[in-house]
Amino acid sequence: MRSVRGILPEPGTWSDRRAERTLGALACTVLLLIAAMVLFVFGKAWPSFAHNGLAWLGGGGNVDQQLSAIFDSPAKPADYVYTLHAWPMLYGTALVTGFAVVCGLALALLSAIFIVEFAPEPVRRLLEPAVRLLAAVPSVVYGLIGILVLVPFVGGTLISEQMKESVAYVVQLDGTSVLVGGVVLTVMITPIMIAIVVDALRSIPRAWTEGAAALGVNRWRVMWTVSVRAARPAIVAAAVLATARALGEAIMLAMVSGSVGFAPNPLDGLTILFEPTRPLAATIVDNAEGLSVVPFGQTIYAFAAVLLVSSLALSLGGWAAKQPLKRYGLAAR
Amino acid sequence: MTLSRLSRRLGAVAALAAAAAVVPAAGASAKTTITMSGSTSVAPLAAKLAKSYVKTRNVSFKLLQGGSDVGINDVAHGRVTIGNSSRDPKSSDPAGLVFNKIAKDAVCLVTNPANRLPNLSAAQVSAIFSGQVRDWSQIPGAGASGTIDLIGRTAASGTYDAFNKIFMGGARLSTTMAQKASNGLVQQAVKSDQNAIGYVSLAFTAGTNEVAYNGVPCNLRNAKSGQYGGVRNFFMVTRGPATGAAKKWIRWVQKSPIAKQIISTDWVPLS
Repeated sequence: MRSVRGILPEPGTWSDRRAERTLGALACTVLLLIAAMVLFVFGKAWPSFAHNGLAWLGGGGNVDQQLSAIFDSPAKPADYVYTLHAWPMLYGTALVTGFAVVCGLALALLSAIFIVEFAPEPVRRLLEPAVRLLAAVPSVVYGLIGILVLVPFVGGTLISEQMKESVAYVVQLDGTSVLVGGVVLTVMITPIMIAIVVDALRSIPRAWTEGAAALGVNRWRVMWTVSVRAARPAIVAAAVLATARALGEAIMLAMVSGSVGFAPNPLDGLTILFEPTRPLAATIVDNAEGLSVVPFGQTIYAFAAVLLVSSLALSLGGWAAKQPLKRYGLAAR
Repeated sequence: MTLSRLSRRLGAVAALAAAAAVVPAAGASAKTTITMSGSTSVAPLAAKLAKSYVKTRNVSFKLLQGGSDVGINDVAHGRVTIGNSSRDPKSSDPAGLVFNKIAKDAVCLVTNPANRLPNLSAAQVSAIFSGQVRDWSQIPGAGASGTIDLIGRTAASGTYDAFNKIFMGGARLSTTMAQKASNGLVQQAVKSDQNAIGYVSLAFTAGTNEVAYNGVPCNLRNAKSGQYGGVRNFFMVTRGPATGAAKKWIRWVQKSPIAKQIISTDWVPLS
């Protein structure tokens, strides 16, 4: 630790050195904790991956029947059932997360531009705290609103009897759906993105935008061609953070996205929006009751391991995507 | 404040906290403590019984929830004295456990209040839940029309297990059934969907239309008299036969008239 002579005490006093070591130890504990967690989860999940190989990620059969068979495994460890094809849940996670991040990013970008550039001062003063408040609402509250208001509305009004009959032999449409899950998730993740993008747009040097304006460019074009372009690393960072939150969202999705391991079929056209699906994190919450059955618990840990890996990949991907953008923009976090 | 003074203060606070935690524990150590964990369906009953039991005995209780399988796993590892279970013993349960039956509970079939379906036969129930019958027009007496929405529980729940054994008669559950994580979520889904049918524990039928099973309405009286077929068991599980205070407690729950009176408020006592 370096200190400024005369202001801070001389380095090397006893309490100083101790503080340094304590803080260092604390920081290292975080690293250890992450390593231990990854090792533990993968150790627990290994039998499920080892038994299925790459087929674990694939489709085939009905995933709920497979889970049920795993839960009803015989008592002898040699006879444990592990067969699982988790594709419907992986696909469901991607579908709901993708829906929310794409909608949320567009919404967040437009709202942030409005807040920074176009909003009158009193509106801005009201909007910004409101956005921060929305970002702090617990997900279970969104889940309750979804299940009490949106799900009955979609099930009763938007889904026609004809639509239900067209897929009745594959899946039932009761309102819990990709649409409700995606919409509520969008509402959940947009505020964080708005907050990050607003901060980035605001840190664009005044001279850049004023310079563009002096050349006769209108406000809207200045925003798109100068500010948003320079803020791209922050926009990527916002999208990564929001995706991470969407991936891990469990309680809300378990309540509104449907409780059946079904892979919505793009061939069904618009009906796909009304088909239910159950993302990975929601599957973990729904089935936590069966953790004590050994092979079932290991399968649940396998879901957790996939979530861990995907958030890791997400951080790396976000970092990689930011590198070429940084040359033109501001250094973002 | 220097670090050493800070740490000394923190130490003092920690010591105080520890003392505060130890004192009541020391006071209670004269009593025996029975710990229970497990089924969320059994928990309200166990709490009512324990509240009455501690009035006359020198025993205290600690009751945790978590689901039948959590209770069974806890008791098998010696983490609790008794594990509460709302499902029958399974072949994959750890060896050496004793399932002490303490009461019975009815599982009711429910539909949306707009669909005043009066009765379903055993054959109709298994046809509906296995997906052979998919439209309300095929069910005489149904007040709804259109496709049937099946609402059930996740495979890991005790109620799912009970429903499969009692109502399905060997038929396979339809893969389209929505699998909810709790009784309350099934109740909510049925309340908000006119085409839904689901199954819940008797205590969760408010706001829905209860459907009679084989001509017998699902209520406490019919469950007690044995006429209603959809009845499952509640267990208190011990590792090996119960001993000491736990043995006395379980015998009191099973045999004493006071316990029977408490059980019969919402559940079915053993005859």
